[in-house]
Amino acid sequence: MSTELFFVQLINGIQYGLLLFLIASGLTLVFGVMGILNLAHGSMYMVGAYLVWYFVAVTGSFTASALLSAAIALGLGILIERLLIQRLYNRNHLDQVLLTIGMIFVFNSLQSILWGNDPYGVAVPEALSGSVPFTDNSSYPVYRIFAALICIAIAVALYFVVSKTRLGMLIRAGESNREMVEALGVNIKSLYTIVFAIGVMLAAVSGIIAAPMRSIVPGMGESVLITCFVVVVIGGMGSIKGAFVGALMVGIISTFATVLMPTLSNMIIYIFMILVLLVKPQGLFAK
Amino acid sequence: MIFEKRTERIFLAIFFVVALCIPLFLEDNSFFVGKATTVLILAVFVMSLDFLVGRVGLVTLGHALFYGLGGYLFVILTPEYEAVNFWTYAIYIMAISALIALIVGVVVLRTSGIYFIMITLAISQMAYYFFFDSLEFGGNDGLFIFMKPETSIFGLSFLNLDNPSHFYYLALLAVLVTLLAIKIILRSRFGRIVEASRLNPERTEALGYNIFAFRLISYVIGSTLAAYAGLLFALQYGYVNPQFMTWEMSGTALVMSILGGLGTIYGAILGTLTYEGLQYVFEHMSEDWMLLMGGAIILMVLLLRKGLAGYLEKLLEK
Amino acid sequence: MNPIKTLASTALATTLAAGLSTSALAAAGDPVKIGVMLPFSGIYAQLGEAGRDGLRLALKQRVDQLHGAEIEFVELDTEAKPSRAPELASSLLNQHKADFVIGPVHSGVAMGMIKMLRGKDTIMIIPNAGSAAATGPLCSPNVFRTSFSSWQPSYPMGKVALDKGYKKVYAISWNYGMGRESLDAFAESFEAGGGEIVEKVLLPFPSTNFQSHVSDIADEQPDAVFTFFAGGGAIKFAKDYDAMGLRGKIPLLGSGFLTEGTLEAQGPAAEGIMTGLHYAEQLDIPENHEFREAFNTEYGHYPDIYAVQGYDAGQAIADTIDQLEGDISDKQAVISTMEKLTIDSPRGAFTFSRAHNPIQNIYLREVKDGVNVVQTVAAQALEDPARGCKI
Repeated sequence: MSTELFFVQLINGIQYGLLLFLIASGLTLVFGVMGILNLAHGSMYMVGAYLVWYFVAVTGSFTASALLSAAIALGLGILIERLLIQRLYNRNHLDQVLLTIGMIFVFNSLQSILWGNDPYGVAVPEALSGSVPFTDNSSYPVYRIFAALICIAIAVALYFVVSKTRLGMLIRAGESNREMVEALGVNIKSLYTIVFAIGVMLAAVSGIIAAPMRSIVPGMGESVLITCFVVVVIGGMGSIKGAFVGALMVGIISTFATVLMPTLSNMIIYIFMILVLLVKPQGLFAK
Repeated sequence: MIFEKRTERIFLAIFFVVALCIPLFLEDNSFFVGKATTVLILAVFVMSLDFLVGRVGLVTLGHALFYGLGGYLFVILTPEYEAVNFWTYAIYIMAISALIALIVGVVVLRTSGIYFIMITLAISQMAYYFFFDSLEFGGNDGLFIFMKPETSIFGLSFLNLDNPSHFYYLALLAVLVTLLAIKIILRSRFGRIVEASRLNPERTEALGYNIFAFRLISYVIGSTLAAYAGLLFALQYGYVNPQFMTWEMSGTALVMSILGGLGTIYGAILGTLTYEGLQYVFEHMSEDWMLLMGGAIILMVLLLRKGLAGYLEKLLEK
Repeated sequence: MNPIKTLASTALATTLAAGLSTSALAAAGDPVKIGVMLPFSGIYAQLGEAGRDGLRLALKQRVDQLHGAEIEFVELDTEAKPSRAPELASSLLNQHKADFVIGPVHSGVAMGMIKMLRGKDTIMIIPNAGSAAATGPLCSPNVFRTSFSSWQPSYPMGKVALDKGYKKVYAISWNYGMGRESLDAFAESFEAGGGEIVEKVLLPFPSTNFQSHVSDIADEQPDAVFTFFAGGGAIKFAKDYDAMGLRGKIPLLGSGFLTEGTLEAQGPAAEGIMTGLHYAEQLDIPENHEFREAFNTEYGHYPDIYAVQGYDAGQAIADTIDQLEGDISDKQAVISTMEKLTIDSPRGAFTFSRAHNPIQNIYLREVKDGVNVVQTVAAQALEDPARGCKI
């Protein structure tokens, strides 16, 4: 592999990794704070992509559609937490897993009823549709650079919120000590609702950002779910920083693996994860 | 009496009486005998999972690895056009599966909790891709088993596996043996230590027991039972496919086990019957059966604290 | 009440009834039972629905030719899961006593169905799954296919590539039956004519992370690229190819599924892609125009290739019933009648080969303004070699 191609692939890997981080961030946040393993997280990614596709078709504006879809996802998150998740706080964790599996069935079915089963695509917004010259024979699309920047911006924002704000302080406290948060006079219920809704919104936002680059098809949620779990487990469940590092590692490794040994590349991320867990049974950045 | 609860005794009595009679009222070739056989085989698989998840405390999302392996090992080990002895090969396959489970167990049991879930999932996905990508094992199209094995023991043959009713009774026997085996293990000293290490690992360790070894042996037992179920499933229709190993398969079994009432063992049978029954009815009701299925799962989680078995016990126990 | 619900309740009723009855296969006068085993949920759902709609339209249009035979449908969702295939096939065979079973889309499911149905009295018609084995080593007198073998759309493309002057081709697909078989078929004719496959890449299915390979192609600079991808993967591949600046520089060729049912989603990224397939929506023959309008009138949208294949399965059934004057009780007669049919398909008339796969034209199409425009007939009346078939 030439040096030039090496760098091209590295950039491909980083770009894929950043998107993985965005999808995984909500999953790890919700698990870290609430201890809930949300198997329906991938469905939220799917919902985001379908919503933005639908609104772009109706309104024609990507920005407006993206904002509208994100807002709907936030509302959906609040609704799900209030109606369903909240009832299971005192129950076995596996009951929560079962609930989220039920939700996967429901969301997949609603997708088919509301939007049909044709594969869809969203056009890249006009302003970002160009590409910059890259190597002699290829160019790099502006939208993909933009998407990577958005992912970085959200990563920074998440880091800032968690480490510098009052909400972040409560989140950090909530992870370690539920009673303490309540002693501070904070309603833990509202905190959980907010965190869960943000988690759902993050998944949907990644679906929105991915929509112009990917195809919007039934089952798209499940296809990212497992990769997301791998990312989060490598990084350490509940750690945002871990998810970031894990996502970049998985992105880069799987990009190089698909080029260098395509037939093995399915297994590579699992092998990597197993190796990480053998050395660090709680992931890289476990608390 | 190894069945402590009244509910358990009542349910199992009704279940086995009904199950024994089912083929008497149906034609041999009827779809329902085949369907019931599949459900029984699945129940064996789910019971083995329920033992691991509910009693040993090992939440695995890679159990289908062994379910698929049971069938693949049969195809790999046996000659294509010659009927082999079922029992001999069942023992071979279970022994090899146990060995594989031992090796896998040594690796996966280094982790716990959510990490255990993920590492088991990872290993089963790797096996899935191995068979999916391999031409010699049929790739994504899977492989056919052309000859059903014969079942004679010391020259005496009771069962003809080409006869669906006979196969049905073989599956029912598997349910009974698995149920008894798990129950006996749980009541033994070994079982009590295993349960103690789930409820209070530190104390059990302090008492001088090597928790790792107990868990490893349990993992091997559960996995071997799953491989037997998988062997039966592959033989029933003479077909293996890598999809039998997917995490969705493991996940569905987990759903059945939780619905039935985690750790109750007989609840695994109840959960399997309910899930399969609901799916059958919903599928024939509407093209959007997934919506009904998802709704039913959500409702049951919300309403039933300890699964279906827990609900029955509330009704029947004083 | 909507038609699906009506169907579902009759299906449920028959389910219950059939469970108790011991009736033998349909004799003359009984309704003709058509079991449908297609995916109605999951990633292949659109293909399943299109096939089903085509099938139903054909039988509705030909109602006068059925000699009074009533048609009854039983539809089962395969979810494209091979593990359930034998069980569902058994349901159609043993429980519903179906005379015909139509399905599936997915070739793993096809294997499970064939295992159950091979050599039985029920006629199986495959309206999509292209796996070579179905009309190869596993061919059977009662198994027909109205779609294609994976070999058919790709084999002529090797010659097309040579005619265009391409010497070095980069071949890429998914590492599964259809992908491997498509690339092999292309290589068979391409290499025979002196072409060279500079790189053959089989990606894990169903991964759609193509970007790194598109970069690899840019680096390699082949004369052209040949692919098999379908559905969501086809959309993603065309988009990545375009986004990385290769469209217009390195010609993209493929098995026709690269641009089937995906053009709208691919948008301008699909322009210029050349593919081979046994159909094209704009095919200018009367059968196609009539079919397209009839389909649109019935369902409110225009049909795709999957609907055509389902439609032809329906036509094969209707023609057979017609020629046997409504009596399909003799299955040998049904098979020998069906074998000799010439189906007036929207793709152009076709007949069945010895292995029961269509002998059909493969068209070379090029995407222009969002439409697959037919350039030439890439292969006339192409017959799958049916390697390994012993009937």
